[in-house]
Amino acid sequence: MSTEKKDNSAILIRNLVKKFEDITAVDELNLEIKQGELFGLLGPNGAGKTTTINILSGLLEPTKGTGLVRGFDVTKDQQKIKSLIGLCPQKAAVFNFLTGRENIELFGNLHSIAKKDLEERIEILLEKLELVEASKRQAKGYSGGMLRKLNLIIALINDPQIAFLDEPTVGLDPRARRATWEFIRSLKKKDKTIILTTHYIEEAEALSDRVGIIDYGKLIALGTPKELMRKYKTKNLEEVFLKITGRRILEGI
Amino acid sequence: MKLQSLKALIKLEFKKLIRQPAILFLNLLFPAVLTIVFLFAFSDPELGMDLSFVVPGLIVYAVIFIIMTVAQSFSAERQEGLLKRLSTTPMTSSEFMGSRIITQLLIAVIQVIIVVALAFILGFRPVGGIEGVFLALPITAIFSLSSVGLGLITATISKTPEAATGISFIFILPQMFFGTFIPITETTRQIATFMPSYYLLDSLRLIFEGNWMDQRIFTNLIILSVVSIVIIIIGIVLFGKYGKK
Repeated sequence: MSTEKKDNSAILIRNLVKKFEDITAVDELNLEIKQGELFGLLGPNGAGKTTTINILSGLLEPTKGTGLVRGFDVTKDQQKIKSLIGLCPQKAAVFNFLTGRENIELFGNLHSIAKKDLEERIEILLEKLELVEASKRQAKGYSGGMLRKLNLIIALINDPQIAFLDEPTVGLDPRARRATWEFIRSLKKKDKTIILTTHYIEEAEALSDRVGIIDYGKLIALGTPKELMRKYKTKNLEEVFLKITGRRILEGI
Repeated sequence: MKLQSLKALIKLEFKKLIRQPAILFLNLLFPAVLTIVFLFAFSDPELGMDLSFVVPGLIVYAVIFIIMTVAQSFSAERQEGLLKRLSTTPMTSSEFMGSRIITQLLIAVIQVIIVVALAFILGFRPVGGIEGVFLALPITAIFSLSSVGLGLITATISKTPEAATGISFIFILPQMFFGTFIPITETTRQIATFMPSYYLLDSLRLIFEGNWMDQRIFTNLIILSVVSIVIIIIGIVLFGKYGKK
C-alpha cells in the first residue's frame, strides 16, 4: 500500500502512456514535479496536457506506466488523491441553476469542510477573485469571465496541496487574465504545488518555475523558462517550440 | 457514507427540481395538470373509467415519467462535465447514487400526494378510505426505484439529453399502455405482467377499493421489490461502467 511520500516530490510520472484506440495521447511521459513548484505544461491543443492532468486526478486510467501524487498511485489510491487535489477543468463546469455561492458550498461540502471554515474560505476566495456580488446570482447569468473565476474558486475550495489548473485563463480579457495570474502567484506563496496547462507562451513564462513542453504526447523540453531559452538560444518559449518541432504552438489552435 | 455529502447532494437535487422549469413541470406540475384534466374530461363510469380506476393509473403514469427526468438529468450533467467534476471530489459513488435515489423516492411520494389530494378535492372518495394513501406511498416509492434504474439505462445509451428524452419513451410507452389508466383486456393483461407498472397499478386499485389485506398486494410488493432492485442495480452498474464517458 502506498503512503504519502516524505520527500519533496508532489508528482512523479514514469513511462506514462494513454491511448484512445489508435491515437496515443500521452507517450512514455516521465516527469517529476516538486512540492511548492509552479509547473507549466505548455503545448498546442491536443498535445496531451489535459489527458495528463485527467490521469493524475483520477478521471482517466493510464494505458501503461505509473503516476504518483504525493506518493499515492493514481490507479489505486484515488480516494486519497481526491482529498489532496483541486482540479480546475478547461471548460467551466458549474451548476447553472445554483448561485455562485451555492456552487462553492456544494463542492466544499463534498470535501467535508466544516461549515465555519467553509464560510471563511468562500468569503476570502470570492473577495480575491472579485466575485462577491455576482456570487448571489444564479450562474446561468454569468459572463464567460465570471464562470472561469467560479470554476477556479471551486477547484481551490478544499485548500488543496496540489492544484491542477487546466487553461485557467482561456477566454479572459487581459485585465482579468492578469488578475488571475496574481491570484495563482499568491497560491504559490502558500507553498501550494500548481500544475498549470496553457498554450499561452507569456503565461507559461510569467508564472512557471519550470516548464515542460509537450507535443504529440511526448515531453520534448523541460527546464526553467530561462534555461530553455538559453539552451535553444531563443528570446521566448514560442521560439523554443519552433526550434524543436519546426511549428508554432499557436498553429495547433 | 458521509452525511454532509449526502445532504449537500440531496439539497442540490431539490434545488434542481424547484429552479429548473422543465424538471419542475415533468415531476410535479404534469401530474397535477393530468389529474385535473383526466378527472374533468375523461372519467366516464359507463366506460369503466371512474375515479377509482383513473387515480391509480395517474399515479403510475406520473412515476413512470421519472425515467425521463433521471435520464435527462444524468446525460445533461455528463455533457456539461459536471459528473466528471463531481468525481474529482472525495464524494463516493454510493453517496452520489444514494442521494439521487432518495430524492426520486421523495419525489414519487410527493407525486402520490399531489394526485390523491387533487383527486380528493375533485370528488375522489376511495371505498377503502383516503387513509389507503399511507399504504400506497411505500409501494409507489419502491416502484420509483425501477424508474430510476430505467432512467440510468436510458442515460447510458443516450449521447445527449435530447436523445435521452426520445429513448426514454422505449420504457415509458409500454408501461403507459399496459399499466396506467388505459383499460386492458385479458390478452393485453398477459403482456402487462411483464411491466413493473402493472404490479403497482394492481396494488393501488386494491388499496383504494379497500382490499388492504388482499394477498395480491403482498405478492405484488415482493415482485415489485425484486424487479425494482434488479433494474436499479443494472442501471447503476451500466451507468458506472459505460455512462460516465
